[in-house]
Amino acid sequence: MSHAGKLIVIEGPDHVGRTLHSRLLSARLKANGIATHTIGLARSELMGAIVKSRTADIHQLNWRTRSLLYATDLHDQIKHEAEPLLAAGFVVIADRYSLTPRIREQVRGGDGDWIDSLYSDTPEPDALIVLHAGPRRLLDRIMFGEELEALNHFEAGMDLALSTSITSSFLQYQKILRQEFQEAGKKAGAVLIPTRHTVQDVHDRIWESVSPVVEHMLQPIGEN
Amino acid sequence: MSKKGILIAVEGMDGSGKSTQAKLLYHWLRAKGLPVFHTEWNSSKIVKEATKIGKNTRRLLPITFHMIHAADFADRWAQQIEPVLEIGGIVICDRYKYTAMARDGSRDVPREVIEDTYSFAREPDLTLYFDVPVDVSFDRIAKGRPKLKFYEAGMDMGWTSDPFESYRIFQGKVSEIYSGLVEEGRIIRLDAQGTVAEVQSRVRGTFDEHIDLSSVQVIDQSDRLAQNLSESGIDWLTYSGGEGQ
Repeated sequence: MSHAGKLIVIEGPDHVGRTLHSRLLSARLKANGIATHTIGLARSELMGAIVKSRTADIHQLNWRTRSLLYATDLHDQIKHEAEPLLAAGFVVIADRYSLTPRIREQVRGGDGDWIDSLYSDTPEPDALIVLHAGPRRLLDRIMFGEELEALNHFEAGMDLALSTSITSSFLQYQKILRQEFQEAGKKAGAVLIPTRHTVQDVHDRIWESVSPVVEHMLQPIGEN
Repeated sequence: MSKKGILIAVEGMDGSGKSTQAKLLYHWLRAKGLPVFHTEWNSSKIVKEATKIGKNTRRLLPITFHMIHAADFADRWAQQIEPVLEIGGIVICDRYKYTAMARDGSRDVPREVIEDTYSFAREPDLTLYFDVPVDVSFDRIAKGRPKLKFYEAGMDMGWTSDPFESYRIFQGKVSEIYSGLVEEGRIIRLDAQGTVAEVQSRVRGTFDEHIDLSSVQVIDQSDRLAQNLSESGIDWLTYSGGEGQ
């Protein structure tokens, strides 16, 4: 499918900095005269509110049902938002796309090929970025962030019975996730960016891989 | 991998009488003391909430409709159908993946997409397609109703501005896809016209023709489940009382 716009996908685990960097990328693109729109998991008008308010219930479901609910959520955004906006020449930033929902289920024994088939008809990313960070770094961000967030049972992979300790489970689970993200990312031709550096450094690396894709669209800000 | 359990599906248009017949089939097998489970294509809570939003805002599109229904089916598959099959039971499914092929297919979702989504749901041992002429099922559903719902009538496809006409077009497409599945040998056509008893006798005949029950374990008669199975405690196999037996 060819369109005037570009699809930039940023994947990675929770707390890696995806949402922050999606926002920064969007701001920079806008400053350069490019209209942007951000989509992401659990953000559709159809499913977003339900997925957010019923997260615990959804985690109880079997992996196929969960995959289909997330696929419905993403397809709703693709059909109603991404496709029309891409056609109109927007840069659509996906703060998670089809990789995260697949990896999350794959590590739980789900069939990755089947999950991929749910996204067979979706627009291909023009740039794919996978952000990653060490499990301990992610844990510190949760525990010592501005406000202490409770560790989420599912996010800590407690359902995998890796450990009875939630922190130890989190570390083991995130290690597995990171390996999967790196492997899948390489296979899909993603740019892998560690977020252990300053926000500015990480943003610069993201911009490096995005700018070739959008170069022809940039309207220089100019000097005053 | 040896295939476990027996999977029976009933398919057909709304108003074809398949649900009545599926339940009768279920009660017949229970009366024989067989471990049988009956399941309908009902929506789970989460899916119900989402479809309600989607329908009210008319936001649902063929692909999201397809995915959300599949989510429902996958839930039912994992919670009910697969476990019963795994322990060697009989499952009767009132609507199965062929409903998605017929309905989503009528909405132009490509067949390959539907097949891929439902690839985990194996082909049943027997799928009965309750065939009635479109006019008959149309009358049963549409007659006497002041209006049809937007999505029920297929109005989202923009075929026509008249809901009743749209429903007829939709059902025509559904019927065509079912006929194709009959030709492919994936579902078996059953003449669904006639009295309930006449149709049930055809159902049983077709069932006996296709299904070998020898591998199915009859419930241990000393178990209290055996009593539950025969519900009222009446042994319908030897029962000869009552009216008109």
